[in-house]
Amino acid sequence: MKKRAIGHAGWLWTSLASVVAFIYFFPVLFIILTAFRSRSDTLATPPKWFFTPTFENFYHIFFRSMSNSTEYVATGFHVYFFNSIYISGMSVLLALIIGTIAAYGFSRHPLRGNDTYLFIILTTRMLPPIIVIVPIFLIFRITGLAGTYTGIILMYTAFNLPFSIWMMKSFFDELNTEIEDASRMDGASERSVFFGVCIPQVYAGLAATSVFALILTWNEFLFSLLLTNKLTRTMPPAMARTIGGEINVDYGLLAAMICLFIIPIFLITYLLQNQLLRGVTFGTIKK
Amino acid sequence: MATIELQNLTKSFGDLVAVDNVSLKVEENEVLCLLGPSGCGKTTTLRMVAGLEVATSGDIFIGDKNVNNLETRDRNLAMAFQFYALYPSLTVAENLANPLHAENLSDEEVKKKILEVADILQLKDIVNRKPHQLAEGEKQRVAVGRAIIRDPECFLFDEPLSRLDVQLREQMRGQIKEVLSDLKKATVIVTHDQLEALTMATKIAVMRDGLIEQVSSPHDIFAKPNNTFVAGFIGTPQMNILDCNISEINSSIIKIKVLEQEVEIDFKTPLSVDKNDNYFIGIRPRSFELVDNNAPDNFSGKIELIENMGSEILVHVKINEFTFRSVQSRSSKLSIGDNINLKPKKGQVHLFNKDGEVIRNE
Repeated sequence: MKKRAIGHAGWLWTSLASVVAFIYFFPVLFIILTAFRSRSDTLATPPKWFFTPTFENFYHIFFRSMSNSTEYVATGFHVYFFNSIYISGMSVLLALIIGTIAAYGFSRHPLRGNDTYLFIILTTRMLPPIIVIVPIFLIFRITGLAGTYTGIILMYTAFNLPFSIWMMKSFFDELNTEIEDASRMDGASERSVFFGVCIPQVYAGLAATSVFALILTWNEFLFSLLLTNKLTRTMPPAMARTIGGEINVDYGLLAAMICLFIIPIFLITYLLQNQLLRGVTFGTIKK
Repeated sequence: MATIELQNLTKSFGDLVAVDNVSLKVEENEVLCLLGPSGCGKTTTLRMVAGLEVATSGDIFIGDKNVNNLETRDRNLAMAFQFYALYPSLTVAENLANPLHAENLSDEEVKKKILEVADILQLKDIVNRKPHQLAEGEKQRVAVGRAIIRDPECFLFDEPLSRLDVQLREQMRGQIKEVLSDLKKATVIVTHDQLEALTMATKIAVMRDGLIEQVSSPHDIFAKPNNTFVAGFIGTPQMNILDCNISEINSSIIKIKVLEQEVEIDFKTPLSVDKNDNYFIGIRPRSFELVDNNAPDNFSGKIELIENMGSEILVHVKINEFTFRSVQSRSSKLSIGDNINLKPKKGQVHLFNKDGEVIRNE
């Protein structure tokens, strides 16, 4: 039998893999192309593959005519864009800080019945969020948190926390505790053991956890729809409003919004890709 | 300069008693080896001395000061870990310098100390490398270096050589012994390797199931084991230990019935034993002489297996369903199936009572 070197799957398999990859990527490509089509090109059947690209749709995201008048007005979309970044950023940061500290506690100073606590934390992720939406809505109404940044940020923090705790705990569990003991012998306080020894060893975990949490928060629709108002609304419900309510769906406009929506997540994932790879393969690499 | 003293130290994890009422004293200049099979509580004992584990009860004194309530960093100890515990992101020099941060030394002094230690442990060429670029032996030396760079009260080593290959282990054993004898401090080494303990220690404490079985000098622990556990644990090949009955006592010469053979054994000194009681007899594989004719003072049996040990051979001799092991010289020209007679050497036979405790007359 001919021995094949590792790393060379051969042209057949490579092309097969490319075909599968292309099938997966095709909808994304189609959306991106649609974003640059003019209105008439968008609706053409069969779809036009060659057209003169236009930035019209992107312009319309921010300025367009509302309710049948021909005058272009600001849509306030930049506010939603900012809201999405601010709200997901803050809630992921909060969840990461609290989650990391909690995970360290669970990993290094287990409570009596540690696993029970961890399981209870996990169960909060087992329920579909829609089950708790009524009580949460009422709580937000009564406390006056509805429609505020604080409210939705706290909501998303709570939403991300179980995931952050579990993920970070597995990273802390992976570490060699001897290194922590060694630094204690070297005269380090508990605080410097945590910040100086443990945290630098779990950078990959922090990156992976924050990206996953960020994607979940960034895409979240339900809570945002019900718990934000005109000023604090995030992108997903704002985009949904573009589809509903109007007589014709402007697919070009929607595609342009989706493109804008993808960019921040794409950038972050791209920048952190090395850490992410190490993050998602944790546990499989020998110490 | 200080001593380490443990008084009735106990550690339990729930129902499991890992360390049971251990009392020990390590003098200045002394190297104590805690030796025992895995899970016997030796590492837990060491970690309690270091303050990394809190004792359930009992007291720890370092230099006559009770340190029960002191944090690890206030105990002024140095420790080398089993898995070296080097900071992965720091170079060898930075790793070595780390214990010095708490001492507020000038950069010059730190540099001088690093060079000193690097010189002793032959680390000069690798001070700028990171741990992942080091070989096992080098990592191990850096771990030792990090322990000795400061001037702590005492040293603790947790299985320092367990991850090295045989050749390197032999080399490092000598090197660590040399370094330790220059330091003149109370040192505790944890190991499960008896050879390591016998060569490096000035005193050995054998542990089993959280209890100290015997504390003696390396020679005494080998030559005068207190009980059947220590006798069986120390020494390779393992000691032959078997049931026996005493049938006749004649001053130092005692007639013993073992494996349906009656053998007269000379214990050198008279022992206080009773006739016909159940005892255990222990004879090391190297304590047999090969004799030509069957006599009342020897065992006879048939060779079942011969293991090659290099300069010597290990002979398995079958006597009534029991297999004796005996080490003989290569020149003895023995072969499987031969009938041979083995005479226990005078004064090298151990007698234990029913509870496994040694019977000795001194």
